[in-house]
Amino acid sequence: MSVSRSESSQLMPNRVIPALGLLALALVWLLDVGTIQPNRIVPGTGHGLVSAVGWGGAALVTSTLAGSILLAFLNLRGRYLIQLALLGLSLALLPLLLDVFASRHLPEDSPFARSSIGAGFWCLLFFLFLMLIETLGRLGSRRGLELLLVVVIGGSWLIFLQSEGLESLSLVREFNARPAKFEQAFWTHLALAFGAVAISAVLAFGLALKMMRSPGWQRPILGLVSFLQTIPSLAVFGLLIAPLSALVAAFPVLETLGIRGIGWTPALLALVAYSLLPMVRNTFVALTEVPENLADAGRGMGMNERQLFFKLKLPLALPVIIEGVRITTIQAIGLTAVAALIGAGGFGSFIFQGLGQAAMDLVLLGALPTIALALLADAVFTMLAASLKPTPATA
Amino acid sequence: MIELKHVTRRFGPTVAVDNINLTIETGEVCVLVGSSGCGKSTTLRMINRLLPHSEGEILVDGEDITTMNAEQLRLNMGYVIQGTGLFPHWTVARNIAMVPQLLKWPRDRIDARVHELMTLLDLDPATHANKYPQQLSGGQAQRVGVARALAADPNILLMDEPFGALDAITRENLQLEMLRIQKQVRKTTVFVTHDIDEALKLATRIAVMDQGRIIQHDTPENILRRPASEFVENLVGKQDRGLKLMSLRPVRQLMQAHPAPKRPEPGAEGLKEEDNLRLALSVMLWQGAEQVPVFNARGEETGVITRERLIQEGA
Amino acid sequence: MRLWLPPVLLAVLLCGLSAGMPALEPLFHWVQPDKQQVIYERESFLFLLQNHLLLVLISAAVGTLVAVAGGIFATRPSGRDFLPLVSQVASIGQTFPPVAVLALAVPVLGFGEAPILVALMLYGLLPILRNTLAGLEGISPAVKEAARGMGMSPLQVLVRAELPLAGRVILAGIRTSVTINIATAAIGSTIGARTLGDPVIAGLVNGNTAYVLQGAILIGLLALATDSLFEALERTWDRRFSPQVAV
Repeated sequence: MSVSRSESSQLMPNRVIPALGLLALALVWLLDVGTIQPNRIVPGTGHGLVSAVGWGGAALVTSTLAGSILLAFLNLRGRYLIQLALLGLSLALLPLLLDVFASRHLPEDSPFARSSIGAGFWCLLFFLFLMLIETLGRLGSRRGLELLLVVVIGGSWLIFLQSEGLESLSLVREFNARPAKFEQAFWTHLALAFGAVAISAVLAFGLALKMMRSPGWQRPILGLVSFLQTIPSLAVFGLLIAPLSALVAAFPVLETLGIRGIGWTPALLALVAYSLLPMVRNTFVALTEVPENLADAGRGMGMNERQLFFKLKLPLALPVIIEGVRITTIQAIGLTAVAALIGAGGFGSFIFQGLGQAAMDLVLLGALPTIALALLADAVFTMLAASLKPTPATA
Repeated sequence: MIELKHVTRRFGPTVAVDNINLTIETGEVCVLVGSSGCGKSTTLRMINRLLPHSEGEILVDGEDITTMNAEQLRLNMGYVIQGTGLFPHWTVARNIAMVPQLLKWPRDRIDARVHELMTLLDLDPATHANKYPQQLSGGQAQRVGVARALAADPNILLMDEPFGALDAITRENLQLEMLRIQKQVRKTTVFVTHDIDEALKLATRIAVMDQGRIIQHDTPENILRRPASEFVENLVGKQDRGLKLMSLRPVRQLMQAHPAPKRPEPGAEGLKEEDNLRLALSVMLWQGAEQVPVFNARGEETGVITRERLIQEGA
Repeated sequence: MRLWLPPVLLAVLLCGLSAGMPALEPLFHWVQPDKQQVIYERESFLFLLQNHLLLVLISAAVGTLVAVAGGIFATRPSGRDFLPLVSQVASIGQTFPPVAVLALAVPVLGFGEAPILVALMLYGLLPILRNTLAGLEGISPAVKEAARGMGMSPLQVLVRAELPLAGRVILAGIRTSVTINIATAAIGSTIGARTLGDPVIAGLVNGNTAYVLQGAILIGLLALATDSLFEALERTWDRRFSPQVAV
């Protein structure tokens, strides 16, 4: 008979954390932790771990990682909680490394000099996060714990970013040079992505209902929306320009509404087209796959069709629909960045401007918030779907 | 012959099988019976080394299995499991041919063997050979599972609740089938089940297991007559032990034989020599008869069985 | 045979259009009357197509190898420890927008073909990895148990049972990966990779809609040809390896 092995594995040495820790240790020692640039464009000089944060800092980083590795071998109850605390604290205090680095190496007298983050630091960050994910996984998913970690790490980073120590960081410099533009890009990005998701949700609901009522439409509708999904974004954006321009030329009244061949119009159209496939598919599946025997049981107990829909079908379908919204939102946030190429604005404009000017930190100023938005949307919708599941989700 | 000597299996701190000793003679059907979690499947899976044993020795024909190559060991043991485990991407014929193929038999020998086994298990080769497992009924699929296990003519057959997922009628059919096949092929069989009736029907000896230990290892009759503990007594069912005992014995043992087989009277109804005593009792009760004629396989009347004798000596 | 008709036709159309774009000059003059130059001539379309395809092919090949190997490793007893992390990474990684991954590759690797190739490989690996895990984990435990119990070695179980059974799901992962990578490679033009995205970007910069159209049409055709190729491959797979589904 199968006997649960989970309790025994709790106390077995974990091989994943040591593997990740050793990799992190090697990379943080081998690669540059940071770079000092005399100005925005000139390539800077890199600094390894010891040079960047001194022997004290290097020792601290090394001992933290080593401690984490050793902890994985310890035969101790509750070791994963200690591990979690250690990793969470390290991640929260990670910006301190950059602070120390800047204060040690930034020349006092040159206002254009700036520090930027090196590959070693990125690797450290990445592997610490992987170790954190692994530890969380071993502890079993606990929402409260995850939320606490996000608040502690995120809050600490925000405080550090606003402090003086990181003011010289080129990423912060790029932001400080254009706070208004950043804010505008943020709202444009949100408006485009969520606008597209909202419109496609309404359309998808209609299409899903049509498919439910007339099964003959299922193949053509699904075929069309997956066809749209197949065409690469750049091509869709490009293909929309000519017809839209022609349309505006033919009906100048459209131009007064702000509709043009480039800009938000083709961007929104393309985003909606892209969002249709995941939306339609999930909505349709969600609404059709309510088990017939459940519906029959409901009818048998005297529910009418209206009650059946609101008390049975919708609650069961909602998590699946929200999963569709999650996929669509993440996709739309990414594609909105591409839409900057046709002048739609958003964080993508920083990415492509930065690429054009070879200003890497401007690229980061666009890319990092885009990723953060996508991750945030993922987290929010995952939690929402989990909280709406009729049965409590078990690990 | 399979011998388990002081075999223990632990999963972490839990002991699944606790210091058991068990000898299974060549050609016998040993049924391990017990409730779920008692260690019967673990014991079975240790015999073909799907699970390593923590302590003790397991010998197959006198040889310690840990000294053998695990794959070689398993190639010489048929293995049948509850979910059949047929490869869904292979046809029935190819599934049956699995082990012969691993043993690199020549093509025509494999084909002949597959044909032979399908016939043995009452599967029509013409209609079923090229079907896929999903296209079979549960009973057919398990027949294929048994055929696959017998394919390379192994000496040993390990069966882990093979009929557990089937409906009652199909299960009954397959049990009878198994008895018939066992008579022909005489495999040393270890059979795991939680169903005591299945155990009584199929076993030459039963090992009752509870909490990782063997409580009693004996013939079905002795298990019924002399249960070693209250646990075994409850397992076999205290109250209807009498009927269960009757169902172990064939009519042949209690009938009063005629000096010579007689031609039956036309339209006469009766029992067959192989029918069990329980059936005989049932027939008498239903017909209100004091005695019932018994026929042999050729349809000749070879004797009669009386109600008096049945009641006195049946159980 | 009818299965293979759409990919062949689309491929022929794609190559023909790449080679014969200048012949369509009058058409593009009509689209863009105010420009002298209406056919993109900085590179030949055939060269761009070839380069685009090469990027996608290399990244798909490397991505498939790495992802399948990783998926197999994480589902073996020796690598089981890594399974939760690997599957988490595969799913979290896919929330990263491809453009952002592309943008992040530049600071590390600079401009040109190298960063885009690395970005395509890393990003393209994720859907394949995810599907490999799903495919291998989705196989009924009874099948694996029986296979081992019948005397198959772990390698035989992998090659004869697990990979054929998971293959269809892995193939679907490769399809997703290639679809994403064709699109991402097009955007790669902005970081100096010469792909079919070049004419689109050049057209957007110069306000030349004709260039944009030429690039967009070819990218669209490439995507459709590839997608229909995968459609044909999947149908063929279904027919040959899992006919029981069709019956």
